Amino acid sequence: MPGGIAFEFPQLYFIGLWVTIQISVLGLLSALIIGTVVAVMRVSPVAPLRWIGAAYVEFFRNTPLVVQLFFLFLGLPLIGFRFSTDTFEHIFRGAAIGMGMYHGAYVAEVVRGGLLGVDRGQIEAARSLGLSYAQMLRYVQLPQTFRSVIPPLGNIGIALVKNTSLASTIGVTELLFAAEIVESRTFRAEEAFMAATLLYLALTIPLGIAVNALERRMLVAR
Amino acid sequence: MRGLTRAFALGLVLAFIATACTGGGTTTASPTAAASPTSTRPKFDLATYQYSLQTKGKIRIGTQEDNPPFSVKTPATGKWDGFDVAYGREIAKAIFGESDDPDKFIEWVPVTSATRIPSLTDNKADVIIKTFTINEDRKKQIDFTDVYFRTGQRILVKKDNTSIKEAADLAGKTVCAQRGSTSEQNITTATSGAARPLLLDSYPACLLALQQGQADAVSTDETILFGLAKADANTKIVGKYFSTELYGIGVKKSAGGDRTGFVDFLNRTQVAMITNGTWAKLYEQYISPVSFDKKRTPDD
Repeated sequence: MPGGIAFEFPQLYFIGLWVTIQISVLGLLSALIIGTVVAVMRVSPVAPLRWIGAAYVEFFRNTPLVVQLFFLFLGLPLIGFRFSTDTFEHIFRGAAIGMGMYHGAYVAEVVRGGLLGVDRGQIEAARSLGLSYAQMLRYVQLPQTFRSVIPPLGNIGIALVKNTSLASTIGVTELLFAAEIVESRTFRAEEAFMAATLLYLALTIPLGIAVNALERRMLVAR
Repeated sequence: MRGLTRAFALGLVLAFIATACTGGGTTTASPTAAASPTSTRPKFDLATYQYSLQTKGKIRIGTQEDNPPFSVKTPATGKWDGFDVAYGREIAKAIFGESDDPDKFIEWVPVTSATRIPSLTDNKADVIIKTFTINEDRKKQIDFTDVYFRTGQRILVKKDNTSIKEAADLAGKTVCAQRGSTSEQNITTATSGAARPLLLDSYPACLLALQQGQADAVSTDETILFGLAKADANTKIVGKYFSTELYGIGVKKSAGGDRTGFVDFLNRTQVAMITNGTWAKLYEQYISPVSFDKKRTPDD
């Protein structure tokens, strides 16, 4: 049975899978929050906010994720900051935050596109009706944006799940790490990585289906 | 090319048997003895793998880019250096003849601990010379030469650390080692699984983790720790050997005769290197600066 090796080393594979899920969920949530905030900054009427938003996106989009993870893991302690005094907690949180910051840059670009896609007339109408800028964002611009950006956000989410494998480079015992350990102990490389592949698919395919379903529901509501 | 070699072997089967019976001693003259500046290449039996390498004009040597003092690729120049690297150059000389620049016959293949065996079984490298510990599990997958280096596992801690003195003290501590290495398994065995292994891709990364307090100790073969301790004067090596590590050169298992005579050839090359003092010279050049001792053979 392909992937059967996962049941010979359940301690490694299923704990690894659980860690992957945790980092994915935490990373995705923080990416959505960071991305939305940065996108709103990028379209805001205040010029310095736009600059900060643009700088954030360009920095995180244009440097490798592995480098960012290493910075969080070993660079931050250099300037006296760590996410936890416990090393394993430190690298776990660093990985989740790293996922959020990196993919947040992509989310920001997608959300910005959505924000710009909302009809200018609606924004002006909302403002002339006496809504503050924040109220306009909250009740007019953002709800329509999220409806239109669900498919590209789904893509980012799937990319994030797969990119969690890079957390293994800073020592996080996630799914790919588990496969590498099993490979080095058994030398059954094909089986070890086949099992990891199947488990990744078990995460990403349902995620894709969920995104599609959500997209259809939102289309009907419109 | 292998097919061609095999055809030759069929045609020359009598000659082959004859040389095999004499142990091949006449066909594989010691490289240093055969090589004067004007001499041509060493002569090999046509059926052997070293012959097919010689015909091809290239040997692919797998080693790691950041494993001082054994193998280092200098980022600025792209030049390789270290004990394993120099050993690889000696093998190239033994195949292709004396040369001022053996690197022209060598394709360096960067490997990590975890990719050593796959790069042999997938035929990405002809030999792996990379602080490669010989063990039974690995022998099922690939062939090893005789021991070319002997060492053991010890512990690197910060200079001001007084709580870690022996392997048993690692219980409950965060210990950094390279992923997919025997060091990781030795730590688990020595502490009955009580240590918390932080597994990274290279020992320089482990040293960084130690410097910044992310790891309490780094544990691996003493010779690698020598390199780290030299890089950071704020660290020290403690404890007795808690494992014996015997390094060999890894070679793909011969399938259908595609590596005929290769391991024997590498072993003879090593005997020649020890006899003519080359091995001692390499040890003095690369290992003595960090170990402060001298050896003439791996067993000293």
